Amino acid sequence: MPKCTINGKEVEVKEGSSIIEAMQVSGDRIAHYCWHPGLSVAGVCRLCVVEIEGNPRVQIACNTMVTEGMKINNTSEKVKDTVKWGLDFHLINHPLDCPICDQAGECGLQDQYMEYGKYDPEMAEAKVKKHKVVDLGPTVVLDSERCILCSRCVRFTEEVSKTNELGLFNRGDRTEIGTHDGMPLDNNYSLNTVDICPVGALTSKDFRFRQRVWYLKDGDSVCNGCSTGCNIKVYYNKEGLFRIKPVYNEKVNGHWMCDSGRNAYKFVNREARLLKGVARGVEMAPGAAAKNANEVLKNTAGDAIALVLTAQYTLEEYEAIIKTFVEEFKTKKVFFWINNKETFDSFDGLLSRGDKNPNTKGLLKVMEKHGITATWNDLSAGLANGSIKTVVVAGPENQVVFPEYAERLKELSKAQNLIWMQSGKNEALSALTGNVWIIPMKTFVEKDGTFINYSGLEQKIKKVTTVVSEALTLTEAALLLAGKNLAMPMTAPFMPTNQRPDQVELEHRKKNEFVFRRGSL
Amino acid sequence: MSETKVLTEFYHLPEYQTLAGYKAKGGYETLPKALKMQPQAIIDEVKASGLRGRGGAGFPTGMKWGFLPKNGEPRYLLCNADEGEPGTFKDRMMMERAPHQLIEGMIISAFAVGSHKGYIYVRGEYVFPIECLNKAIKEAYDAGLLGKNILGSGFDFDLDVYRGAGAYICGEETGMISSLEGLKGQPKLKPPFPAVQGYLRKPTIVNNVETLAAVTYIVKDGAQTYRKHGTEKSAGTKLFSVSGNVAKPGNYEVPLGYPLLDLINKECGGMKPGRKLKAIIPGGSSAPVLTAEECAKANLDYESLAGLGTMLGSGAVIVMDDSQCMVDMLGVLTHFYAHESCGQCTPCREGTGWLNKILHSILEGRGRLQDIDLLVKVADNMKGKTICALSDAAALPVLSFVTKFRDEFEFYVREGRSKVKGTTYAEMHH
Repeated sequence: MPKCTINGKEVEVKEGSSIIEAMQVSGDRIAHYCWHPGLSVAGVCRLCVVEIEGNPRVQIACNTMVTEGMKINNTSEKVKDTVKWGLDFHLINHPLDCPICDQAGECGLQDQYMEYGKYDPEMAEAKVKKHKVVDLGPTVVLDSERCILCSRCVRFTEEVSKTNELGLFNRGDRTEIGTHDGMPLDNNYSLNTVDICPVGALTSKDFRFRQRVWYLKDGDSVCNGCSTGCNIKVYYNKEGLFRIKPVYNEKVNGHWMCDSGRNAYKFVNREARLLKGVARGVEMAPGAAAKNANEVLKNTAGDAIALVLTAQYTLEEYEAIIKTFVEEFKTKKVFFWINNKETFDSFDGLLSRGDKNPNTKGLLKVMEKHGITATWNDLSAGLANGSIKTVVVAGPENQVVFPEYAERLKELSKAQNLIWMQSGKNEALSALTGNVWIIPMKTFVEKDGTFINYSGLEQKIKKVTTVVSEALTLTEAALLLAGKNLAMPMTAPFMPTNQRPDQVELEHRKKNEFVFRRGSL
Repeated sequence: MSETKVLTEFYHLPEYQTLAGYKAKGGYETLPKALKMQPQAIIDEVKASGLRGRGGAGFPTGMKWGFLPKNGEPRYLLCNADEGEPGTFKDRMMMERAPHQLIEGMIISAFAVGSHKGYIYVRGEYVFPIECLNKAIKEAYDAGLLGKNILGSGFDFDLDVYRGAGAYICGEETGMISSLEGLKGQPKLKPPFPAVQGYLRKPTIVNNVETLAAVTYIVKDGAQTYRKHGTEKSAGTKLFSVSGNVAKPGNYEVPLGYPLLDLINKECGGMKPGRKLKAIIPGGSSAPVLTAEECAKANLDYESLAGLGTMLGSGAVIVMDDSQCMVDMLGVLTHFYAHESCGQCTPCREGTGWLNKILHSILEGRGRLQDIDLLVKVADNMKGKTICALSDAAALPVLSFVTKFRDEFEFYVREGRSKVKGTTYAEMHH
């Protein structure tokens, strides 16, 4: 483990570390654009310069390895001047369209210019004009003028997604990124290029112009899009969720996540959600609907009750509901509704897995703990011969990954009584009549709990925000279904805990409806 | 005339292009001798000769070969025949007139470094040299001089010509390797150096046409004979491509250390009638310019020119007489480098374009006096700040032109026309 001195402090680093990595260890700040810990070293932005004792020229920190006894500094006037000029070189052809740029507020160029920049620009010549609003593919838009040609996106498609759609074209200050031979940037990881773009050159069609980033809050969670369980940051405000980005976790997802996972925010938002509970055709509060369903459950014999679970809930919720059914209702007719069975074990080699549930292992663990051995055939047979009369379903949060949803709904609605718990709207479900109870559920960003991913890794999720405050968790629903009452912590008795005093309800908000409704570009 | 002809003795003979003509003058006589030597002995001989790379960097050739790993991994020998810098045309003549001389030098060099595959990377515009090389390579294959078991020695070596798509930076060795690999011609970060990880990530030696051709002479007559030419630190002879306002532009082979003005006056017939020497760029357009006074003190070797703040480079001597407008000349050079920057490193990509724009603002009568200092500041901040030397190549002429001929730049800004020609840019060029 070589020791070096960085800005006067002695630092010990791993063998083979570059200076920029050593500076991450020492906590020293250093300007950089093209370096990204998840990509190869390009050494082209020339901002991460340092002085090394004994070397007359400044060196780039990303491609210089630390050696024993090396003395490094990046605070000298020589380094500062080089970085200032480096930033000016970056800016001479960069448009000053920050007020309309989607990256404003989280732009590396803005941030680094504020910290290291040269405040006396000398460029008096006309800027090079490049292409605007280039449609790179279904998810990403390029504003070439803003691009600082750090090549992170190009390296991402070469090294991570291995799809090679992007390249650098032309020479000199006419250089632009683009797609090879008109090939669209169309892969399940394309939006990572937007994440790693340090400026506003690559923007997400989905997020573009929806919100200024400083109007968003964020919270950490775990993606529920598949059994990998990528660590994510959810961006939201009082209007709902707007985007999801990956958070680095070396053991799970590294720096990346797939595009499909990023769509999870869409089924969390209020527009896609069930808001009211239903009990035999009568609308009521979700909790009231669950309590109402207790009547039918307590009047049904245990062996005539079945519980159907999808693997989209937390470990704690499974524990609560299975325990309730086994101990209160005396039934072990608990069934695992497996979606995409034929592709369950597939894997794209990077992150995305065929099992599109975040907690299959968690569900199986709790079922095993309670000695559940029932199979779907038992359920089908019970429904066919009428021995199963009441079915309670914890339906999927992400209905898109349950392509046989309608078929299953039809099968399960053969039961005399159907109690269906779910977070999202579904036309076929809402159209059911008779002895049907519909109970709106909370989503993964609205509760605490644990997911166990494909490898058996337990990951805690914390509540990020509340979108539908009346919706229930599966734990709460289990209590109500068992006829018990919820013990709610009431810190502000007249105001739901998720609301701020200045909160504007969706239906009362005043906003630019045109921007809100026009959808993706 | 003081020309010392080590490489170019038979260039005037048309038949020297052919295998028979080359053999008639002793060609391929060194190869059997070399193939009987130990490869290390050849490397040692090249080291002892003091041969330095003739492509521009002047790095000792034997030392470069010594950087190859000793593990017997496959390695490549690449001949850099891209020759893209303005004023440089020496390799072209060798490829056209003495292709077998290059091929023999490459076989011997490949044997020395343990390579069984070589490429000659030629700039795409060099159509005729490519034809000459291909013809000569075919003759060599037919004669058993290339391919399997060369001259029964058990040594195999295959050689191909690769036609580049045309970019200045493909003359830089890592840029050339990228291009040869089918990628955009962009230099790569060093380390790793090509000798450790080059073409297809295998150890690779890249040498210039003239360097490889000189190896034959060194092996044939010995290092000490080669050392008789040139100076202690700059051994041997060198080809100089002389262009510009001289009576007889062309390629000249002289020993290193030869006085610059002797090259102009004795070999090239002096300046054009009635004109006076104003300045010379001694080593290709990327080298800092010398004033006429400085030229009088300059010898054509690495050390003498370095002592004057310039460099020998590729040996492209660009001569300017008193009718030359230095602002206009620098405008041409900055335009070239802005056009050729590969676009990878920010200071070069943006800096070359910026320099070019400032120069053209001045040339078109829109210049400001502070632009002259700005040129210096921009160039200063491009120098030594990028992966390859293109940024330096663009910056160095700017710094030297502005410093040494500042009065012409100031006049141009004030008057909106050339001090030398008395005309505007538009009048000069239309």
